[in-house]
Amino acid sequence: MGRYVVRRVLQGILTLFLAVLLLHLLTTLAIQVNGNPARAFFGDHLPSAAQLAAVEKRYGLDDPCFDQTGNPCVKPFVHRLGDYFRGDFGTDLHDRSVTDIVSTAAPNTLRLFLVVTVTWFVVGMLLGSVAARYRGKVTDGGIRGLSILIDALPVFVIMLVWKYIVTVPVYTHLRDSLGSESFWAILFKPSFDRTHPWATVIMPGVLLGLAGSASFIRLVRAAQLENYGADHVRTARAKGLAERHVIIHHIVRNSAIPVVTAVGFVFTDALGGAVVTEGVMNIYGMGGTLWRAVQTNDVGVIMGVVTLLTVLTVTVMLLVDLLYAALDPRIRFD
Amino acid sequence: MKISRTAAGLLAIALLATGCGSGGDDDNGGSSKTGNGATLHMSLSEDVKTLLPMDSNVADNIAVDDVVYDGLVRYDPKTTKPHNYVAQSITTKDNVHWTIKIKPGLKFQNGEPVDAAAFARAWNYAAYGPNAMENNYFFERIKGYDAMQGETDDDGNYIKKPTVKQLSGLKAVNATTLDVTLTGPFAGFSTMLGYTGFFPIAKACLADIKTCAVKPIGNGPFQVTEWNQGESMTLKRWSGYTLNEVPDYSEIDYVEVPGGDDWADFQAGDIDASTPPPEQWEAANNDPDLSTRKVEAPTAALTYIGFPAYLGKPFNDINFRKAISMAIDRQKVIDAILPGQATPADSWVSPTVPGGTKGTCGDACTFNVAEAKKLLAKAGGWPKGKTLYIHLGQDDVQEQYFKAIGDQLKLNLGIPYKLDPDPDFFDNRDARSFHGDGIIRSNWFPDYPLNENYLTPIYGSDDPKHGDDSYGYYDQKFMDDIHKADTAPDLDTAISGYQQAEKVLASDFPTAPLSYSESVVFYSDRLSNVVLDPFSGAVKLRLVSVSN
Repeated sequence: MGRYVVRRVLQGILTLFLAVLLLHLLTTLAIQVNGNPARAFFGDHLPSAAQLAAVEKRYGLDDPCFDQTGNPCVKPFVHRLGDYFRGDFGTDLHDRSVTDIVSTAAPNTLRLFLVVTVTWFVVGMLLGSVAARYRGKVTDGGIRGLSILIDALPVFVIMLVWKYIVTVPVYTHLRDSLGSESFWAILFKPSFDRTHPWATVIMPGVLLGLAGSASFIRLVRAAQLENYGADHVRTARAKGLAERHVIIHHIVRNSAIPVVTAVGFVFTDALGGAVVTEGVMNIYGMGGTLWRAVQTNDVGVIMGVVTLLTVLTVTVMLLVDLLYAALDPRIRFD
Repeated sequence: MKISRTAAGLLAIALLATGCGSGGDDDNGGSSKTGNGATLHMSLSEDVKTLLPMDSNVADNIAVDDVVYDGLVRYDPKTTKPHNYVAQSITTKDNVHWTIKIKPGLKFQNGEPVDAAAFARAWNYAAYGPNAMENNYFFERIKGYDAMQGETDDDGNYIKKPTVKQLSGLKAVNATTLDVTLTGPFAGFSTMLGYTGFFPIAKACLADIKTCAVKPIGNGPFQVTEWNQGESMTLKRWSGYTLNEVPDYSEIDYVEVPGGDDWADFQAGDIDASTPPPEQWEAANNDPDLSTRKVEAPTAALTYIGFPAYLGKPFNDINFRKAISMAIDRQKVIDAILPGQATPADSWVSPTVPGGTKGTCGDACTFNVAEAKKLLAKAGGWPKGKTLYIHLGQDDVQEQYFKAIGDQLKLNLGIPYKLDPDPDFFDNRDARSFHGDGIIRSNWFPDYPLNENYLTPIYGSDDPKHGDDSYGYYDQKFMDDIHKADTAPDLDTAISGYQQAEKVLASDFPTAPLSYSESVVFYSDRLSNVVLDPFSGAVKLRLVSVSN
């Protein structure tokens, strides 16, 4: 088990390096092909050569390789990696340290992800289990229909409806009747509030989680159905175990592996939804930070955020793999 | 998008202008030093990273700096005309040598004196090229600027840092006297001095610029007490403030909303002033309660069509240019794409700045299809089978706007067009190397409130062959008028001199004005005296009243 973890961590570091290299190449190409981000600094004004050069230097784009399309710009990359090894993650284009940006943005996104994951689990397990239990009945049909309906509603539509139609009247009403510091009022605030980072992230997280829960519902249903017909379940029933016991210990647990795997994969997908959610709800998080950094070609920030996300993804995947052993004693890593 | 961002910012000079509003009523009892206890809730939309005056040039940091710092002059909230503020007097005999006397005894929020050295410190830092400050180019007119810019090789790569770190034309003679020598006469110099880029900085600020950029040491009525970058900012009244342009409230709480969609927060009462997004526009205006809390004001940006006269026919033919201009129903396009955000333009200088008037363009900016067709025929018609390109940067709203312009040209003149949004737009314009011949989307947000700023930077040139950089326009008479006005004995004479130059534009018609910008803000019932800046359209923070 220990050796397995070490191997996986080493693989993770390689993945991280490849991700950073790929990003470096892409952002370099973007700068070479798309023109000089330093030029945008001047807008409608026509800069002199010296003014433009000074801004390129400030932005760290003064290496001539950024003017040569196709040049992989190895030197700036090696330089950056060297800085990373020394623990210096650099600054954004305006001298704010990337560590500061990430340490402000990451907790907000992690809170959001946590709420999302819990929502997936609760909704997916609950509705999926019920659908499997009552296979072919009206309940099953209803839940499957619901999952299709959820799929058909894009996240941003849900978020916009929430923000513009639901929150304003509900929040105003609750605030006026319960006071502006009451939990229930804050829960319905139209935007994230950094002084209430948990309360104002719950509803956006639940909505984002709901939006992604459709595939979970179906997955849980399918995995459990398979187990309902399995030999060990029939044996358990034949032994005279109560149906409750059979479901919890023999069906739910045995069908958990594909679900846990899916959580690991979908977790990374959630970032896409996070960009939208963070944008609409004004949460200062990783998704929005990355989005703005890409728009302004702020390479330092892009690298910093992606590095953290890669670490996060690799960690979650590792956790998922380790959970397999816990869920299914037949699986061993040595 | 960059165009609108920079534009909005640069212009926003005027924000600074907070006028003399509540001046003088400092004597309302014991609370005068810290205000009435009320808090103004606002939002910042531009994800600003710095409040350093030399580096601040977008609407948001200009707005914050306007209450954190005081400039030599401030601007009238209605006319944008400057009046002395930190300056006691600003005098010149020849428009080249300027003597600025500073009011004695003023202090920064850390106790340092606001003296001539404080201004020289800031200006030299901004003018020094390698510091790459956003407001660097504002110091071009001061003698010694060129020596501070460094050298580049033929590819534009930086090869040598300049050795000079001080403007030779800038001298702090004593604590209260600042002498400025310009490279040439410029009657409007004093109108520039209220812009953010000309604010003073403390010694302690220069010693640690990085900290000062996020925790400013100002000399204005408010202090930044907390800034969680990307999330929120808090400003509190500074009790040591001694001048008179001060509002009645005690605190400003900003929440940062990148992109600026804070309408729901405004409706919920969490923010005091906002502009509805397009889809909420109708509902907001039709709301009987809300519509009573609305202010509208024209602002200083001018959108126009540039013609690449350097390409020759047909762009160098005035009849062709006028035909294009007259074939556009400006009002109809604005109603469809930018309701409430623009009005049709018929002059080259926005009427909100001193010297700007409507109507200098006359018939050539009036929609008249029959006349447009006649003029196009006179110019030899549009070449058969050729497509007219419309060059612009990448910006959703502007793309819609110019698509509508293109549709007008196609409908009214039968000219087929192709929209060419390009991330390299500015590079291409500078290099005069667009893909495909066509017209150029142009937009100008002035740097300081004076009609001259709409003229010289765009159409000025010393080279009759090359003409101005963007369009290749040159007229000796235009340049003569500009030079003459630059040397005028006082500002009013200069302004009317620049108006003469605008008349030359009207007869040459190098570009076609399309629209002036407009600003609309709705505000909460806690606010009163909400005035929009005639320059930037932002709420004037020093004028607004907030009740508890």
